[in-house]
Amino acid sequence: MKHKYSLHLLLVLLISALLTGLANAAEKKLILTGSSTIAPLVSEIAKRYEKENPGLRVDVQTGGSSRGVADARRGLADIGMVSRELKAEEDDLLAFAIAKDGICLITNQSNPVASLSDEQVVKIYRGEITNWKEVGGNDAPITVVNKAEGRSTLELFLKHYGLKNQEVKAHVIIGDNEQGVKTVSGNPNALGYVSIGTAEFDAADGVPIKLLPVGGVEASMANVKSGEFPLSRPLNLVVRGQPEGFASDFIRFASSSKVDDIVKEQYFVPVSN
Amino acid sequence: MNVASNSTESIYSQTFGSEEPMSERVASLLVCGAAACVAMTFLWLVFDVFWSGLPFLSFDFLVDVPSSAGRRGGIGPILVSTLLILGVCMVVSLPLGLGAALFLSEYTSENTTSSRLVRYSLDILAGVPSIVFGLFGNAFFCIYLGMGFSILSGGLTLACMVLPLLIRSAEEGLRSVPDEYRAGAAALALSHTRALFQIILPSALPGIMVGLVLGLGRAIAETAALIFTSGYVDRFPDSLMDSGRALSIHIYDLSMNVPGGNNNAYASATVLLALLLCINAVANTFAHCWHRNLTAEAST
Repeated sequence: MKHKYSLHLLLVLLISALLTGLANAAEKKLILTGSSTIAPLVSEIAKRYEKENPGLRVDVQTGGSSRGVADARRGLADIGMVSRELKAEEDDLLAFAIAKDGICLITNQSNPVASLSDEQVVKIYRGEITNWKEVGGNDAPITVVNKAEGRSTLELFLKHYGLKNQEVKAHVIIGDNEQGVKTVSGNPNALGYVSIGTAEFDAADGVPIKLLPVGGVEASMANVKSGEFPLSRPLNLVVRGQPEGFASDFIRFASSSKVDDIVKEQYFVPVSN
Repeated sequence: MNVASNSTESIYSQTFGSEEPMSERVASLLVCGAAACVAMTFLWLVFDVFWSGLPFLSFDFLVDVPSSAGRRGGIGPILVSTLLILGVCMVVSLPLGLGAALFLSEYTSENTTSSRLVRYSLDILAGVPSIVFGLFGNAFFCIYLGMGFSILSGGLTLACMVLPLLIRSAEEGLRSVPDEYRAGAAALALSHTRALFQIILPSALPGIMVGLVLGLGRAIAETAALIFTSGYVDRFPDSLMDSGRALSIHIYDLSMNVPGGNNNAYASATVLLALLLCINAVANTFAHCWHRNLTAEAST
């Protein structure tokens, strides 16, 4: 019996230790969740912020833009990360852009097709054009690469081309940008779309992919910055209600020119100026 | 094992001599081929990862903090978090797993409804995709129990995932202990508990160790169950209540989400693979030595 009591005591002590630890940890911690595109960028910004403000902690978690919206709404996160414009039904949230990103279509470098019109892209993604020779390429079936549900890249792409996800006939569904690049670089007949920053870096690094222009505008970070490139998106921090104190301070820091070098290092376009 | 296979081989060669029928030769060729395929796949994987990862590996890489989203710097905090998560997982799952395995093999007979129910649910649990464990862990440990994104939530989620594996192989190990041992212990008037701890558990050690290694292997390679529980934060954890990025998540993020992260992804994968091989070797040596000591003790 004695043993049993000491075991209970130990359990109670353990749980109370955990709870106090929890209470202490919750005091000066800011939690961000959301877009996997923004997470690496905000992690780096958070590190610099922590260095400038000793004693404060910023924890960055990932999981996709939808998660960022949901967590910010439910209060599971102080700030959500959303890599697109907020939708009309999300007007309960406030968005603060910290950078810009463009999306471009990519093909394998060995593919002779130099550009696709908007109409051709729509037909390919609807499965009405299934062979590259119909758009001036080789006689080979097109492998359509689409993004997974909940990804902002997908939503932006569908919106720009006026497509619905149900009508897209995809052969490969991918998650993150680098996965898209890897799929297309490994398949000479694939057509996909990824973030321009990622595509530009990988193409320069020797990965065999080709960036296609959209609406006649060359896909480059310079054109995203100038606003000329039609298929671009803001990278947003979102909060429910006007941010206060710690959160507001962090958002101000993340959209200031103090982090321009970090934004560029992650292949995004700064918006601070 | 070796002794057994040698003797089988010699029996066949004595019976058939060198004039084995053709069908026999084809069959043995196919069997050997299958084994070679498995070994080749493993060696190729190890070679590919080590070949691409070793050039970027250094002592600094193991202790430094990552910078520029992991493209530069090292994996120091990530290694610490990974080991802490594994530690939590093992501290929780080992006693629970052993207890459940003992219940199944020593306290109930194989065909009772309760043991069948437990065994059935374990087999189902063992086949559940890890992302389901991740979402469960997020909902239960992080949100419901209020642990938040933390190493503790991650370790507990992994423990849930590893338990079925651990229990089932420990149970197999315990069942393979001959009933004569139990009868002998009873004849010597040993109490049930003493018989368990001094005779049955030590004899079942190899099976338990297999379960432990399998469980550790699955835990250390886990991504989906951890991304929503232990999280993504890559600084040195202060306590178990801090979020900490596991090595497998770091590799996933570097290769899938960070342009230019491939080299460090390979280097991290090399570390992960080396860690796995080490755990395997240590567990095997440990089990071997312990087993030998115990049998030596018993025979004197």
